[in-house]
Amino acid sequence: MGRLLEHHSKQLFKEMGIAVPSYEVATSEDEAQEAARRIGKPVVIKALVPVGKRGKAGAIKFAHTPQEAALRAGELLGITVRHFPVEKVLVEEKLDVAQEWYLSITYDKNKQLPVIIASTRGGVDVEELSRSYPAEMVIHQVDPFEGLPGFRAREIWADLGVGGKLLGAAGALLSKLYATFDRYDAYLLEVNPLVVTTGGELVAAAAVMSVDDSAMYRQPRLADMVQLGSERAWRPLTELEKKMVEVNESDPYRGTARYTEMPGGDIGFMCGGGGGSLLCFDTLVSLGGRPANYSEVGGNPPEAKVYGLTKGILSKPGVKGLFVAHNITNNTQVDVLARGIIRALKDLNIDPVTFPVVVREAGVNDAVARELFTAAGVEYYGDEVTLTEACARMVARMKEVYGEGGRP
Amino acid sequence: MGILIDRHSRIVIQGITGREASMVTRHTLAYGTRIVAGVTPGKGGQEVHGVPVYDTLKAACREHQPDTSLIYVPPAFVYDAVAEAVANGIKLILIPTENVPQKDAVKFLNLARRAGVRVIGPNSVGMINPGERVKLGAIGGDNVERCFVPGPVGVISRSGGMTAETSWMIKRAGYGVSTSVSIGGDALIGSTIKDLLALFEADPQTRAVVVFSEPGTSQEEEAAAFIQERGFTKPLIAYIAGRFTEDMPEGTVFGHAAALISGNYGRPSIKAARLREAGAHVLDNFDDLIPTLKQILG
Repeated sequence: MGRLLEHHSKQLFKEMGIAVPSYEVATSEDEAQEAARRIGKPVVIKALVPVGKRGKAGAIKFAHTPQEAALRAGELLGITVRHFPVEKVLVEEKLDVAQEWYLSITYDKNKQLPVIIASTRGGVDVEELSRSYPAEMVIHQVDPFEGLPGFRAREIWADLGVGGKLLGAAGALLSKLYATFDRYDAYLLEVNPLVVTTGGELVAAAAVMSVDDSAMYRQPRLADMVQLGSERAWRPLTELEKKMVEVNESDPYRGTARYTEMPGGDIGFMCGGGGGSLLCFDTLVSLGGRPANYSEVGGNPPEAKVYGLTKGILSKPGVKGLFVAHNITNNTQVDVLARGIIRALKDLNIDPVTFPVVVREAGVNDAVARELFTAAGVEYYGDEVTLTEACARMVARMKEVYGEGGRP
Repeated sequence: MGILIDRHSRIVIQGITGREASMVTRHTLAYGTRIVAGVTPGKGGQEVHGVPVYDTLKAACREHQPDTSLIYVPPAFVYDAVAEAVANGIKLILIPTENVPQKDAVKFLNLARRAGVRVIGPNSVGMINPGERVKLGAIGGDNVERCFVPGPVGVISRSGGMTAETSWMIKRAGYGVSTSVSIGGDALIGSTIKDLLALFEADPQTRAVVVFSEPGTSQEEEAAAFIQERGFTKPLIAYIAGRFTEDMPEGTVFGHAAALISGNYGRPSIKAARLREAGAHVLDNFDDLIPTLKQILG
């Protein structure tokens, strides 16, 4: 799931014929001031960061004059909103609001259908909407084969009491929003508020869009808008994480090597697959171990990918040991893993006597892996121990080499 | 016995000529499982390890009457392959493909459900019934018996790799499995934990079920409710990995695509609490699986 910045979502909206406020992107106070002057109206200044609920986080401000716009932009640029530094702001025309509505489209994972939530009460978040005003909400499950024909879209608004000239416009707008959701493989599309202006126009005042990263192969339009791998971090990717994304993407169709840097820690964590990694991380932590990163390696990666990931894991400052473990593999060749890992250890002149390395790799070609690891002086286990036992061995080795407190 | 597949299953592989599908075909035949046909458009008339290949599933069905399909095609082609299987009367579909777009998954899951076709996956490493020597997918690789031997325990795993490790732990405890099913790590899958518990309930070979879970989805909560409604009455042992993710900022995916926490939704601690309330054995330590099984099965 990749979240788009608001100006990207609004660009897509515009291309689909959906009205949005006039806006410009600014990276400095001067640019914000100029943008406000060009817009020629009171403006809204919004931090361009890929997180939700920016209003509550103090990341949305209002300005009546270009001078004030510069001041408000200055307050936002350089601060951090939910772990994301603000490098750009959106300077946007402040609308003359008559009514604020709410509209979102996402997938109902239990019913396995697209779902539209609409309300003529907007400006509050959907949780509060469903808690406080359930009678003023319509929840419509979309038949994925039917899509959202015009009459369905009009029914949704009519059920909320919308009538007159506004009904046709609201129906047409909703059809376009659903078409945007569908066309760009969105996972979430939220317009809150959807503004009815004093002039009777419907304008998507705020736009939040997340797109399905599995569909990027057929969404070239989104390529520059979504940071690959960003769904796996709660903050901008670190330099090391970006490098590891490159390692993974260098051979995208063979195996997976994912890396997430964790705060602190001293155990380099080189594990897989998805479930095995979660289990090993929990187990190391419960035994008092401190993993320095999270990783997932699987799907039979080539040696170069394993080598690149291992080097990355070991390059994080403070890493003083390496734990390598997988569930017993169905198809991943563990001799290939062994070659990549051993090459990385040799390149970095790591001596497994003074730098703890514990390996638990069983599965395809593990007899060869045992020979390779043993010859390299690495403490190796196959299926004679469980994953939990291997985790315990790793934590014990760290204590042997560095003492209880982690220092020799 | 066991669930979903047995020696009477008539298996076809869609996309059989691909590199991985061909390897899986070799391992599956070596294990003793029959594969009646394969399909790859444009490669009709070829053979893969002796299995005849057809251009269309329709042609394969005419000659071999398959009822079970293993779909080994890249993400962009999964929707079409499932639609082809449903259109040709296949009753059980297993999808190993990872990274299938959600929009496509929604469509083919609904298409299959309306036609009464059961889907396992996407993102499933497969399933196996060792008592019948039948496996579907890469599960077990070329050394099936290392992890999978016949016995009284059903396995349901949200992680493909841990399907093998869990079954191996059961063997290490001195038992074996009736059927082990990797249900897929995606947020949108065809058969959930609860769906399979209903099948294991009806299987006389199965005396207990082990579930390997992860953060995300509400499958465990639904399974707990199903137990409380007496839909599943056999002993259930569950391990929920990824407790550490509860301490991380929300909205971060660790593990499979489905492993997303939002508010209370998807939290391992809440899943564990619900399952415990329903009477399941929830393990804090995965190695406790062995003594727990011995205590339950005697």
